[in-house]
Amino acid sequence: MPENRELTYVEALREGLRQVMEKDESVFLLGEDIGVYNGAFGVTAGLLEEFGEERVRDTPISEAAIAGACLGASLTGMRPVGEIMFMDFVALSLEQLALQAAKVRFMFGGKTKAPFVLRMPAGSGTGAAAQHSQSLENWLVHVPGLKVVMPSNAYDAKGLLIASIYDDNPVIFVEHKLLYGTKSHVPEESYEVPLSQSRVVREGSDLTIIATSLMVHRSLEAAVQLSEEGIEIEIIDPRTLNPLDDETIIKSVVKTSKALIIHEAVGTGGYGGEIAARIASSEAFDYLEAPIRRLTGLDIPIPYNRTLEYHAVPQVENIVVEARKLSRGEY
Amino acid sequence: MAKAVIMPKFGMTQEEATIVKWIVKEGDFVETDDPIAEVTTDKVNMEVGAPAEGYIGGIRFQEGDTVPVTHIIAFILAEGEDPPEIEETPAATPEAAPPATQAETHSETTHATPVAQRLANAEGIQLSTVKGSGSDGKITRKDIDLHMGSETAVSTLPKKTRATPAARRVARDRGVDLLSVEGSGPRGRVQEGDVRTIAKKPFPRLASSSLEPSGEPIEVPLEGLRRTIAERMQASYQQAPHITFTADVDMSRAIEFRSFANARLPEGGKVSMTALILKAVAWTLRQHPQMNAYVADDRVTLFPDIHLGVAVAIDEGLIVPVVHFADRKGLYQVANEVNDLTRRGREGSLMPDDVARGTFTVSNLGMFRVDHFNAILNPPQAGILAVGRTVRRIVPDDRDQPIVKPMMAITLSADHRAIDGVLAARFLEDICTALEEPGSVML
Repeated sequence: MPENRELTYVEALREGLRQVMEKDESVFLLGEDIGVYNGAFGVTAGLLEEFGEERVRDTPISEAAIAGACLGASLTGMRPVGEIMFMDFVALSLEQLALQAAKVRFMFGGKTKAPFVLRMPAGSGTGAAAQHSQSLENWLVHVPGLKVVMPSNAYDAKGLLIASIYDDNPVIFVEHKLLYGTKSHVPEESYEVPLSQSRVVREGSDLTIIATSLMVHRSLEAAVQLSEEGIEIEIIDPRTLNPLDDETIIKSVVKTSKALIIHEAVGTGGYGGEIAARIASSEAFDYLEAPIRRLTGLDIPIPYNRTLEYHAVPQVENIVVEARKLSRGEY
Repeated sequence: MAKAVIMPKFGMTQEEATIVKWIVKEGDFVETDDPIAEVTTDKVNMEVGAPAEGYIGGIRFQEGDTVPVTHIIAFILAEGEDPPEIEETPAATPEAAPPATQAETHSETTHATPVAQRLANAEGIQLSTVKGSGSDGKITRKDIDLHMGSETAVSTLPKKTRATPAARRVARDRGVDLLSVEGSGPRGRVQEGDVRTIAKKPFPRLASSSLEPSGEPIEVPLEGLRRTIAERMQASYQQAPHITFTADVDMSRAIEFRSFANARLPEGGKVSMTALILKAVAWTLRQHPQMNAYVADDRVTLFPDIHLGVAVAIDEGLIVPVVHFADRKGLYQVANEVNDLTRRGREGSLMPDDVARGTFTVSNLGMFRVDHFNAILNPPQAGILAVGRTVRRIVPDDRDQPIVKPMMAITLSADHRAIDGVLAARFLEDICTALEEPGSVML
């Protein structure tokens, strides 16, 4: 098998699902238009033909039902993988997720468990306007009992998905619409990327950027530009937001003395605040040489107008400016 | 029957006093009016007398404690009697003065909006200390905020340094004082590199490193009278724009006149040069009422009467007893009063009125080897005269021939907010005249 085998994010997810379903009868899929229609973004394309209607189930348009069915099935020993067509509509399944799924193992003293995965694409940039473009991961991060995973590339997407399916807790698996077409090396065999392990995406000495999902790519682009100016940026991708591996982040900030947190979700009440707090309350505090900064989506609904949409979330040029200022000691 | 000894109120505006010394101790027998404690206000030291005859008991405060007026400091007991339990009065700190009742009284006399009044109450701020910016000088919420802001600013600023956490860590590890490091970061923030640069510099080698240090530095807190002097002098120096004028005075006739006066003085009296200078100053002030003034609260207040303060050095610092109506008293009387005030000042037995109401101050260091000096205004007075020693100097006479004369330099400090140079110059000139021609005081 060629070492440089590349798959898109969508293909990697599909391959992960297929490999698990082949091996494990308890894994099945459910969601809106995931069967005949192949899924809104084509993740489940061909799986209906391969595994049949029993294991690839189209559901009514009810996110509460999808989450509820996932939870119910998982309690009986299945490992369902549900799909929410747009992360925005996870709002409709929050009761099942936050009040039931997250609590059931805890309230029954560990006598039962809820091993299911709920996949959902987040993010703007497709002109899908305010109700189909949000990044709501922090709503779910805030609920103990739910795990929240946010892969930023095809390799991680496959490995994290398989690990999530085999995790005995409900896992919210947040994909990104603009990442679906991105490619990276993906081994053919089945593999797991362990949950709760942050990844050092790029090493650098002048500034640590902690970025999630699509923002990892934009940060990388910015880092390449800044490298030409002699600014070397270290980039950390947490990959799992909850439970978070903050050690990797803290270690990096101890090294660089500066931290910039970047996510697409709005800043107020966003995940960046959590990371900033973890840094500030760790030993990294004593190494800080500048205020911890965040670069996030604006506190507004994502506009339909493409120009406004573009400016509503961090772009490469914004990251370049912010990272440059922070590393040059202008804050 | 136990009789409470309370912290007395010596002055209208006095709210507290500090116990300097207990003259008696627990169990001592005292008669009515026997001094039992020495206390100090921001102006004078006073004695607290026993309100009744009996045995001292239940002393509630230590020497050095500051106690609000009317608070019980001890009891006079019958023989064998135990001091009564009393309800806990507020702690002996300035904050302890009950702010609520004060603010209520103030609310009738001071203009303030209800919000400002409530805030002042809650924060224990005396409305009289706040400058109002509303209509008719009414104190608004903003004024209270500003007032509080300025207080916080003053109290916190000197201690804080901008430094990154990393700089603080390195400073801590290397024993570098952050205050000594110049910051290169935004707004002068000290960065880690700044500390490392300092820490790398070698210690300056002492010339004779074998010398043992003589001991630890001694810190003396600014307290009591010292603190009052410190605060008043700093405020004066910072707030009043001082202008100073020096002139040399030929003291030949003044010295003559003093000898003349002393020779005719009743038994035991003595006219000091200070008294003579006071008389000259009082006479001159009468010609220049603008100099007999206070500058405070955006206004100049001119006084119809002349009350001259005389700076007197005492062990604890400096006090300024006042010769009241100095221009209306004869030289002998002024001299007697100065002698008496100086003596009582050094003994610590001045009464509040002895140091109150001064309108102009004279500070005489002529007994020391000081040719001339500049005095800091005694706020809110608009002028102060600093008097140097009298020395015999060669000066030209009427025919430009050298002649030896006793010369004395006097330096007037004036508050330029109220006094301009020409006025001050004329005033100084007239003092010179009064001293050079003592007879002019008779006119």
